[in-house]
Amino acid sequence: KGRRGQKGKNRGCVLTEIHLNVTDLDLGYETKEELIFRYCSGSCDASETTYDKILKNLTKKKKLVNDKVRQQACCRPTAYDDDLSFLDDNLVYHILKKHSAKKCGCV
Amino acid sequence: ETALSKGNNCLDAAKACNLNDTCKKFRSAYITPCTSSTSNEICNKRKCHKALRQFFDKVPPKHSYGMLFCSCRDIACTERRRQTIVPVCSYEDKEKPNCLNLQDSCKTNYICRSRLADFFTNCQPESRSNYADCLLAYSGLIGTVMTPNYIDSNSLSVAPWCDCSNSGNDLEECRKFLNFFQNNTCLKNAIQAFGNGTDVNVW
Repeated sequence: KGRRGQKGKNRGCVLTEIHLNVTDLDLGYETKEELIFRYCSGSCDASETTYDKILKNLTKKKKLVNDKVRQQACCRPTAYDDDLSFLDDNLVYHILKKHSAKKCGCV
Repeated sequence: ETALSKGNNCLDAAKACNLNDTCKKFRSAYITPCTSSTSNEICNKRKCHKALRQFFDKVPPKHSYGMLFCSCRDIACTERRRQTIVPVCSYEDKEKPNCLNLQDSCKTNYICRSRLADFFTNCQPESRSNYADCLLAYSGLIGTVMTPNYIDSNSLSVAPWCDCSNSGNDLEECRKFLNFFQNNTCLKNAIQAFGNGTDVNVW
């Protein structure tokens, strides 16, 4: 429990999972229930598009100085896992939606 | 100290369910309709019942029975067990009908009719019923108008949401019907056997 998934340095964007207590999420719930939390991690170097190149070049030339632009894709969930439900210490049910990743992508 | 502060078998079963993709999915699939209030009702009982039937149809007994028939030593555990089916939506109602009237309305629905018949066949205390068949028949009633639940925190006594007031001449028949739920040694032994992990080969 609490063991981190493998996190290779030069691996692309992948789905990783970790076994947690619901309270570890710090969402304010009091319960003893647990979950598998899946998240996206890894670099998106390999997925550079012409758009990304142009942004880099324009930033270098200081043509975009006033804008906050991201020059690289981010490794983010492209789909979420099924809902999670649990009973709290006061016998009230709660449901978490879109709390855990199902698929990852460089977006 | 809150009600569920100590670990227990029912909590362990809930943890195991959420670590299993199928159980987790079908559990939230019934918790959602069973806890969503509509404009003038506490929930949509029909949707809650349907999702509960799917939960017991689709989830392997190891997980579904694990939460429904877990063995308990304290109130924190029995209260959690009682909450498994979200009784405030699936079980309780404004009024408690007479059990024979409830049986009549069950008989107008083919799912309820056949599952009630299975229950009376497979949980007969006299005829050395098979425990697994009895638990299957009992859990099959969850999600029908005859949905049973534990009636208190101290025993394995169960009943549908009905009583025998206003039975008139049928009082004896009504008591017999209700007793088949409340004081059924076959069902109690089956629940105990599952909770203790004895008779493991059957599941």
